[in-house]
Amino acid sequence: MAFFFAGLALILAGGFVAVLARRAPPVADHLFVVLVGLGSVVGAVPALRVLAGGGVVSVSVAVALPGGPWVFGLDPLSAFFVLVFLGVGAASAMYGVAYLGAERGHRPVALAHLLVAMLIVSLALVAAAQAAVAFLVAWEVMAIVAYLLVVFESERAEARRAGLIYLVATHTGTLALFVLFATWGVRASDLTFASLAAVAPALPYGGAAVLVLGLVGFGVKAGLVPLHFWLPGAHAASPSHVSALMSGLVIKTGIYGLLRLVSLLGAPPAWWGWAVLALGLASGVLGVLWALAQHDLKRLLAYHSVENIGIILLGLGMGALGGAYHVPVVAVLGYTGAVLHVMNHAVFKSLLFLGAGSVARATGTRQIDRLGGLSRLMPVTWLTFLVASAAIVGLPPLNGFVSEWVVFQALLRAGVAQGPLRLAVFGAAGLGLIGALALACFAKVDGVVFLGRAREAEAAAAREVGAGMLVPMIALALACVLIGVAPVLVCGPALRAGGLVAGVGGISGLAGVAETVVAVRWIAGSAVALIAALGLGLLLRAAILRRRPVAVDETWGCGYAVPNVRMQYTASSFAAPLVEAYAPLAGVHVERSATSYATHARDPVLELALLRSWGRLRTLAGRLRPIQRGRLHVYLLYVVATVIALLVYLAAAGPAR
Amino acid sequence: MTVSSVATLAAVLSVAPALPGLANRTKSFLTGRRGAPVLQLYSDLAKLARKGAVYSGTTTSVFRVAPVLAVVSTLLAACLLPLDGREPVAGFTGDIVLFAALLALGRFAVVLAALDTGSSFEGMGASREVTFAAFAEPGLFLCLLVLVLATGRLSLGGMLAAPLANAWPTAAPSLVMVGISLFVLMLAETSRVPVDDPATHLELTMIHEVMVLDHSGPDLALILYGGALKLALFGSLVVGVLVPHSALDAPAGGAVLVVGLLGVAAGVGVVESVMARLRLDRVPQFLITASALAGFAAILLLG
Repeated sequence: MAFFFAGLALILAGGFVAVLARRAPPVADHLFVVLVGLGSVVGAVPALRVLAGGGVVSVSVAVALPGGPWVFGLDPLSAFFVLVFLGVGAASAMYGVAYLGAERGHRPVALAHLLVAMLIVSLALVAAAQAAVAFLVAWEVMAIVAYLLVVFESERAEARRAGLIYLVATHTGTLALFVLFATWGVRASDLTFASLAAVAPALPYGGAAVLVLGLVGFGVKAGLVPLHFWLPGAHAASPSHVSALMSGLVIKTGIYGLLRLVSLLGAPPAWWGWAVLALGLASGVLGVLWALAQHDLKRLLAYHSVENIGIILLGLGMGALGGAYHVPVVAVLGYTGAVLHVMNHAVFKSLLFLGAGSVARATGTRQIDRLGGLSRLMPVTWLTFLVASAAIVGLPPLNGFVSEWVVFQALLRAGVAQGPLRLAVFGAAGLGLIGALALACFAKVDGVVFLGRAREAEAAAAREVGAGMLVPMIALALACVLIGVAPVLVCGPALRAGGLVAGVGGISGLAGVAETVVAVRWIAGSAVALIAALGLGLLLRAAILRRRPVAVDETWGCGYAVPNVRMQYTASSFAAPLVEAYAPLAGVHVERSATSYATHARDPVLELALLRSWGRLRTLAGRLRPIQRGRLHVYLLYVVATVIALLVYLAAAGPAR
Repeated sequence: MTVSSVATLAAVLSVAPALPGLANRTKSFLTGRRGAPVLQLYSDLAKLARKGAVYSGTTTSVFRVAPVLAVVSTLLAACLLPLDGREPVAGFTGDIVLFAALLALGRFAVVLAALDTGSSFEGMGASREVTFAAFAEPGLFLCLLVLVLATGRLSLGGMLAAPLANAWPTAAPSLVMVGISLFVLMLAETSRVPVDDPATHLELTMIHEVMVLDHSGPDLALILYGGALKLALFGSLVVGVLVPHSALDAPAGGAVLVVGLLGVAAGVGVVESVMARLRLDRVPQFLITASALAGFAAILLLG
């Protein structure tokens, strides 16, 4: 654990150096990058050791606060999340240095670096905390630091509003967590996770209250439908590397919380598993549908986070159901798929947000319909973005396919089990639908933003961003490919974490798990075969075309003589058939005339439900306003009236006993 | 991997271009026309392979890579099917997900290539393609999971071989429904009537054809061959489900498959002669019906 805390200290030191040395920007930037990078590597050492099969490590700190000692420790589940948080966190922080460099004049950039360092440290501590109070402290630090980063561009009303909604949402969730640990902790000797786990069997109704509170409290953070309402705004309004951290990492703490809750409680009852599965399906399908309707690149990506949280929840739900119906293979595979997708989503989604940030920097706009043709002007950004979008769609040979495949295995294996668990097999069709819709959405993004021709001047004037932004993106893209081609590297650790949550010891002894491990090798083989066959095919094609005349001409316009860039298909028109087919769910306002077609995306939960009912509540509360006049004698009158009323009540109730 | 599985794969790969021709020939026969020869596509492919290429100045390397990727991914998907009725060229537990993902990869490539041209027509085709795919994909998964439920196997090689033949006596109604559903999905995936009309000459009504307007020469040959291969692939699935041939010897099993494929192609031709194309906004309903059929088949097996 010494290495772990030393690493976190280095990251934090990087943040402080950035602030202290802000008068000498190049020095501060370099030191920040070096310290954060070094800190992540050092901090990851104990996590790697645990995942490689070493024993669980922990350290206990006695504090003069109620709730017992603060315990920090790394078991396979914590270690897996710590690894993801440090790796992706460092890449995003390094990107942030180059990304915010242009804003040094008019915004407190150094402070943002310090906050990012604090965010990474608090994330790692959330994953490592093994006591409720320490967990909640780290959780709150993370939430507040994230708020400060969301409102970094605070002169924009959009950022202030998104920040406020985020702050309200996250504290509603934290409140649920306080209640959760309080109701649980009254039975335990102290609030360390070990003590809580010891009293778990004594919880009334199998811990039903704790499970529901956990689903609300952690669900708000994870952004599952319908608790996702804060997410798109907050992710879109932040600086792009912060969006990457929020979408890639911060929402994953909600998933970590749910997994930790299950590991402490033991196998949850079946109804909870079905509820998580249903929420996962709803989040997955609705998230991608809402994403299809977006015009703002970062909002679109934010809704895809909702979708991917849905996929993760499908895995988590299958894990819970496998436990409830005593099918350990399904339990282990479900949790493993969830954990693995947490990692993969962290990698490709942060990469997508960094790519979106580069596009926004280069063009000054996030509006998809103003862009186009960027693949020629920003080739490296395009290539990394393409890799990430193929990964998020779940296409081989990339990492997204691997984790979706594991989730599919859990769903399909439910079909060959016995009893009511078999019904869960229909989730596979749902996951297929989610994948196909995601393909439609990313075909739209890639096609409209990067391919074709520039629709507006700002897109035509784009230039590739600097190496400081490209290097972290290339690193993340390589991670996508590496995990896709060599999934064996991550499946072992993920299985360990999944086995821990499922409470199954000796997972390699399970027949289905051994079969899955073999299959993962086949996936690696198929990825290599795919890449090799593609390479071979391209060589053949090049050899054939070398001896042939190859001409360059205009795009075939079906006989039309004067095509222009505005005649290209736009994001609105591309998504129109799907959006209209799902009109009741999509929450899209369509404006159609003889010459124009426009869609306006609204978040059904936030704008149609929450803000409306809030407005109604305010109107009702307004009726009470006349009694608050702010005049002393009126309040005195209220006091006198209340006393008289109480006296009358006492007189009417008769003498006390 | 066995000799017979590789030999059958080679047979399917070489027979594939005859299938669209046979479908068209059946259609022209039933509508009283002479029609093009059954082997027309072979001549077309040979002609295109000898030609040079013309590229739009708007296109990038995406446009050049996509046709190769489309064929390669379909080819690898074909390797997962037990074409001779007993064993695939390669397969593992859970490869049905890889099968679907490989087909999706090919689609993603072709759609991006269409958008790469910046043409409004090709953008329109791409939009329709991904829309209908989003309705067909759950159907494909429902069909595959019916096979999972019926056979208890998670690999294409397992579920389409001997276990399927054993499942027939108990699960016949479900398997027939899945066969029909797969046939309908095949019509959608391979752009045939009533979803798409390969014979149409109006760009505005096209789906698949309009996406590949700009491809020429060897690239177009790859696209055409990929389309034929996809027909063979789905046809093999239909034949594999409806006519389990795992008990037969190697050459006989392969022969059953090839005859079955020709039958499926003739069936496509019959459908094209007796049905008109659906209005575009009716296509989702058509595909949802196919998915619902597979869903019912699954429910039958769960009972």
